[in-house]
Amino acid sequence: MRPVTDPAGTSPAGGSAAQAPGVPAAVAAGGPRRTRGALPGILTAAAALLTVAALLAAAATAVFGNDGPGSILDRETLVIGVKPDQPGLGVRRADGRYEGFDVDVATEVARRIGAADVRFVTALSSTRQSLIETGRVDMVVATYTITPENRAKVTFAGPYYVAHQDTLVRGGDRAVTNVRDLKGRRLCQAAGSNSWRRVAEERRVAVELVPASSYGDCLAKLRAGTVDAVSTDDLILAGFAAEAGSEVRIVNAPFTDERLGIGMRKGDLDGCEAVNRAITAMYQDGTAERLLRKWFGTSGLDLTFTVPQFEGCD
Amino acid sequence: MTLAQAHRTPPDPAGPAAPPGPPGPAPRPYRARSVPGRIRLVTAVSVLALTVLFGTLFTAAQSVREGLDVIGHDAGPQVVATADLYFALSDMDAQVANVLLIGDEHRLGKGRARALEIYERRRSDAGRAVLQASALAGDDPSERRTVQAVLDGLGRYERLAARALLLDEQAGHPAGPPPAPVLEVYRRATDLMRLELLPMAYNLTLESGTVVRRAHAERSLSVRAGQALTGAAGAAAVGCLVWLQVFLARRFRRVFNPALLVATAIAGMYALTGVTVLGNEARVLEAAKRDGFDSVLTLARARAVGSSMHGDQSRWLLDPERADTYEQTYLDKAQSVLYTPAGHLAAYQKAVAGKADDGPSAFLGLVGQAAARTDLPGSGPAVADVLDRYRDFQQADRRMRELGPRRAVEQRMTRLEAEFERYDAALVKLAELHRASFAGEIRGGEEQIRELWFLLPVAMASTAVLIAAGVRPRLSEYR
Repeated sequence: MRPVTDPAGTSPAGGSAAQAPGVPAAVAAGGPRRTRGALPGILTAAAALLTVAALLAAAATAVFGNDGPGSILDRETLVIGVKPDQPGLGVRRADGRYEGFDVDVATEVARRIGAADVRFVTALSSTRQSLIETGRVDMVVATYTITPENRAKVTFAGPYYVAHQDTLVRGGDRAVTNVRDLKGRRLCQAAGSNSWRRVAEERRVAVELVPASSYGDCLAKLRAGTVDAVSTDDLILAGFAAEAGSEVRIVNAPFTDERLGIGMRKGDLDGCEAVNRAITAMYQDGTAERLLRKWFGTSGLDLTFTVPQFEGCD
Repeated sequence: MTLAQAHRTPPDPAGPAAPPGPPGPAPRPYRARSVPGRIRLVTAVSVLALTVLFGTLFTAAQSVREGLDVIGHDAGPQVVATADLYFALSDMDAQVANVLLIGDEHRLGKGRARALEIYERRRSDAGRAVLQASALAGDDPSERRTVQAVLDGLGRYERLAARALLLDEQAGHPAGPPPAPVLEVYRRATDLMRLELLPMAYNLTLESGTVVRRAHAERSLSVRAGQALTGAAGAAAVGCLVWLQVFLARRFRRVFNPALLVATAIAGMYALTGVTVLGNEARVLEAAKRDGFDSVLTLARARAVGSSMHGDQSRWLLDPERADTYEQTYLDKAQSVLYTPAGHLAAYQKAVAGKADDGPSAFLGLVGQAAARTDLPGSGPAVADVLDRYRDFQQADRRMRELGPRRAVEQRMTRLEAEFERYDAALVKLAELHRASFAGEIRGGEEQIRELWFLLPVAMASTAVLIAAGVRPRLSEYR
């Protein structure tokens, strides 16, 4: 070791021992003779430092990870909101169990994303958004249409099916091939539904509106001959058509697209992507086709058995 | 001066611990043992902290490089390429519709030959894009199945399209809807395309986009963690070195130890630089993902949807019985490009005409998203241009739907075609702007990390030597 005085010492390569003048330089030759057991101390310090590092890394993960309130992928029991009163899609039976296409889709998706257990609860059109936002349900599969407004509040996977507004007429009525042919006919106007507007107002088809209390009532009126057509979501029509058999006929001239999505907490991208993969797999292995046939197969509706175009999770 | 030396030198004196024997020449055994011991301990801890510091910087810099690679050179551009698959497919179907619509009047608009030529070109584009998608799919079985399904479907589509074109040529009809047998075959073709192939192609892009998102999220996380750890290790190292400095100054009655001082300065500066650069890089990664990848992908999707809308205009003219369906799908796509609430097309077009002047913030949808996401220099006018062109395109569409059947076909093939091309060109220009800024971000990020990387060994070696130089003479006083 050269006793060089280099207080400036800015050049790292040239940096070496600097000593105050007047102090004799110690001889540096030879290895250490006597050393105290410094090793345990170093080990302790190393352990401490590593612990700190690990803690920091964990803290960083917690701070910078994007899943604040958690993802649907982390749930032991997945709570899923479904419709209680939509024939073929989601119906709450007398024993409290739910059944329908939506319920089956939800069960399949839950299984495929690895949820150990599933619990269904009622989600109405008026409550489903707040159910998601407050975290009372993890996922909603309840004829929830993906729209830009909805997407601002909720993250949607899917659509798992694209439904369309279509028209139901009596089985013998062959003259109606699309919505325009309803001109001059009697269209059922179900209370609380806007579907008639799409015909009478948006497409300005001159129909005669006949009020009814519900779509069930509409079906009865159609069979009785007091209305000529019922127009709403084709999956709802298919539920009725399956019930009424050849007495009624779906026109199969869709004129809207209703993308039925699976809603979850806004920002759960991991969950959304996993659900999309589950939906893709359901279509690829034929599960989706089986479920669609199970619930709507006898209705005469043209069903689509290939995977719908997803909306994207972001 | 080697790295190995840097690691080896400091612990060396403390190395193979001799049994704690009787004190040597020092008159007060306790102090004599404890002082060098403490010096060694603190030195070792400093060196350890520095090792952690440099190690973290090394791995964090590695993460940054990988992150930039994934987004900038690897998966990112490939994902955007799969968006071109959708574009190529939907334009194929649009061109078939055009040919059928033109019928015998071969010179209408750009003419039949031109439409067929574009069809061929898109077909080869689609083939290329399928290859890209297949490369991206890698070992993922589900994605591979999708790619395979697209490939099979494309074959079926081409057969149906060829039949429709042949039937149409044999039938011979004036511009407008073709005879029913032609229409029937075309319906099967377009249903296959619109209901099966296009959704699959679109989903492929989304799915491979998730790969980029996840890779990006992981890298960002490790860069952020690396930044925190660098800060902590840097603080620990500087703390230890300062403590050593103070300890040595008191014990040996010196004002300061220059070598240690320089080592402290270097460690401090490097830690600070590291924290700053990593912070910058995290931001660069973020910006490259948002302004570059996301925006470019969004605009590629907007462009693909646009071509599909243009096809819907032809289909609307081609198949009067399904006109309502095609008008609806057109509106639906229009709303996904630029959203404004409207129940039917006329209302939508009125809203677009009125609202385009309010600026992009008034809109949701793909173009609205891309516009809201960014404040790139020069993007303002480019976005405004896209909106203007889009509005003109919608106006031309309105006109077409209001004209009589014959004039409507002419409108579609001339004026509307021109408006569409202008709109499409404006989109491409905006995407180009993003692509350029994206490339710039990536380049800048890579340069910074290269500098950090280059200085890393120098800093490591110099601090090691300086610490050794500062501590060894003190220790040797105890021999």
